[in-house]
Amino acid sequence: MVKKMFLPKLNKLKKAIALCLTSVIAVSSVVTLTANAEDEIPYDTYNYNYWKYIVKTPAAYVPDGIVTMDQIGESTLSSPQDMCVSADGDIFVADTGNNRIVVMNSDMTKVIRVIDSFDRDGAKDGFNAPYGVCVSESGNLYVADSNNARVVVLTPEGEFVKIVDNPQSEILDDDFAFVPLKVTVDYADRVYVISKGAFEGILVFESDGNFTGYFGTIDVKISPWEKFWRRFASKEERSNQKLFIPTEFTGIDVDSGGFIYASNIDSEGKQAVRRLNPQGKDVIQKGENGNVGGDITFSKYGDYGGPSEITDVVYRGKGLCSLLDRKRGRIFTYDKEGNLIYIFGGIGFQKGTFMTPVAIEAISDEILVLDAERNAILKFKETNYGNLINDAVGLRYDGDETLAIEKWEAVLTLDENNELANNGIGKAYLTSGDNKKAMHYFKLGMNRKYYSIAFKRYRNDILAKNMSAIMTGVIIFIVAFIIFRKWYRKKSGKKKEEGLL
Amino acid sequence: MIKNLLSADKWKYAFYTVSHPADGYYEIRHRDRGSVPVAIILVIIFSICFSINRMSASFIVNDINPTSVDSLKELFSVLLFYLLICVSNWSITCLMEGKGRLKDIAIAVGYSTIPATFCIAIGTVLSQFIAKDEDAFYYMVVGIGIAYTLFMLLIGVMTVHNFTLGKTLITILLTFVAMLLIIFVTLLLFDLINQVLSFIRSIYQELIYRA
Repeated sequence: MVKKMFLPKLNKLKKAIALCLTSVIAVSSVVTLTANAEDEIPYDTYNYNYWKYIVKTPAAYVPDGIVTMDQIGESTLSSPQDMCVSADGDIFVADTGNNRIVVMNSDMTKVIRVIDSFDRDGAKDGFNAPYGVCVSESGNLYVADSNNARVVVLTPEGEFVKIVDNPQSEILDDDFAFVPLKVTVDYADRVYVISKGAFEGILVFESDGNFTGYFGTIDVKISPWEKFWRRFASKEERSNQKLFIPTEFTGIDVDSGGFIYASNIDSEGKQAVRRLNPQGKDVIQKGENGNVGGDITFSKYGDYGGPSEITDVVYRGKGLCSLLDRKRGRIFTYDKEGNLIYIFGGIGFQKGTFMTPVAIEAISDEILVLDAERNAILKFKETNYGNLINDAVGLRYDGDETLAIEKWEAVLTLDENNELANNGIGKAYLTSGDNKKAMHYFKLGMNRKYYSIAFKRYRNDILAKNMSAIMTGVIIFIVAFIIFRKWYRKKSGKKKEEGLL
Repeated sequence: MIKNLLSADKWKYAFYTVSHPADGYYEIRHRDRGSVPVAIILVIIFSICFSINRMSASFIVNDINPTSVDSLKELFSVLLFYLLICVSNWSITCLMEGKGRLKDIAIAVGYSTIPATFCIAIGTVLSQFIAKDEDAFYYMVVGIGIAYTLFMLLIGVMTVHNFTLGKTLITILLTFVAMLLIIFVTLLLFDLINQVLSFIRSIYQELIYRA
């Protein structure tokens, strides 16, 4: 009887325990699943510290899907080479292989328009391998029509405006071939064109289409060692050696002030982007590491060895610019001072990695990368970490260092070793007068200059506060020293008299 | 014996040598007032101070990653370097009719580290109290220490071997050549030993696999 009474209860207990266990397992598996989902970023996210060591950081941007034309009801792209975002957010893609320009709305859910031909003075005209595309501030569309050797200017709707071609000048060689690859337009409708094989720099056209000259020539660097050997080489040997020609520009963008950001492939990996002022002079700041060339440390050999090969640059506002590396598929973002603020991206076959990245653009809080092999646009959205850094850098750009401190402190909770965050907080403490805390943060940020400023103030404060005590100490010491010396001389004098020494 | 070599008198004499290099080294050579254990301990102290300086001198003047400093490794390298200097100097001065024994050279080199040790230690402390534009003070202190050490080394070699200044300078130059030679021969020896060992190992492996 007792047993029978007990059994059902036991069963209930068992059931309850079983239920508990399964629910715990289920919950924990869900937890691990979500944790995995967050870890599933198919690339490395890292940065370089003061000693140029690689430091892993949280991801600033994570993959947010891939857009192919099939998804949105349009025939697929064929090795597209460039894209551009207009002021009202429309996305223009140069579909090089299909000789057309595809225009999408800003969230890339539908194709607004496909421009494959235009009406030129009554005659129908089209593109031949349109390589670069750009939308000016006034809204006109500039297409670098590479094989037709011209830049076609259209209204956003595809109506013909004018053609920029056939640069005429004494400085051009007779056999100069104009093959426009990338194009950008500044606020005054000046057209900047990267032409294939034009090592002298970027070609500049006035708004009326006249060629005015080259712009931003990259100087050739010859090491003393190479000079030394060339001295001893015979004429034939010299002709067999590699030519010292400057590298070509690969990508181009313009900021609101008319400064041109131009990327190039630097064989030393030191400087892959230039910020050219209206005179064509490079005015970029190179940051703490003195390097704006992508990866700072890399292996020299192997498929993924060698310096980064920067193919495109995008100016993202507030002094931020992002570079796209086609060798390792990284995206490097620099602030106005040229400090690397975050790195993400990678080459591969997984979702969110590139095969042949060719162009980069930014649209609100997203970064878009055009992949010529996948024939698709990859989207990346900013994480909390990326958002905090972007905001903090933006606030600093605007001069609101004290407002940035909250952001930097939040960055430090996610990434303890972030040197920029430490320096940002240090500067805020310095302005608020807390020199000791400022010293602490500047030391963590390895900032000698500002540490010294904070330290000097701190030292002066201590000296001023304790001046009387210090002076008293010094006087007491001097007096004690004199008395001791007198006593010592007396003693040793006695010893001498006694003949002990 | 060792107690005698480490007596307070010997220690005091090391510091007397710093203030009176010429006299001090003369008596080391001719009246046995120096002590090799004291010299070795001084070199060890130098190495420790050197490592501490690299590790904890203020980052204003110090561009070394503190985590990359291995003080034990540095101690061994400094001791090895000390041995190398003594042996190569001895082998050169033997050929050049120097009067010094290996013992005297070891003492001369060991004692001459005192100013460097002292100034590096002071510099390490000083570096904590300076700003970036005052780093000249730090470099001055350390520089004076190293300069005085080199000066003592010169006087030491000169006095111990009873050389003229010109001959001393030539000797020191040749000492460096001898050091390079010794390093070269040692590396060669190690490489050859390695090859012999790998040869024996491969024979052993062959035998094992055949059996």
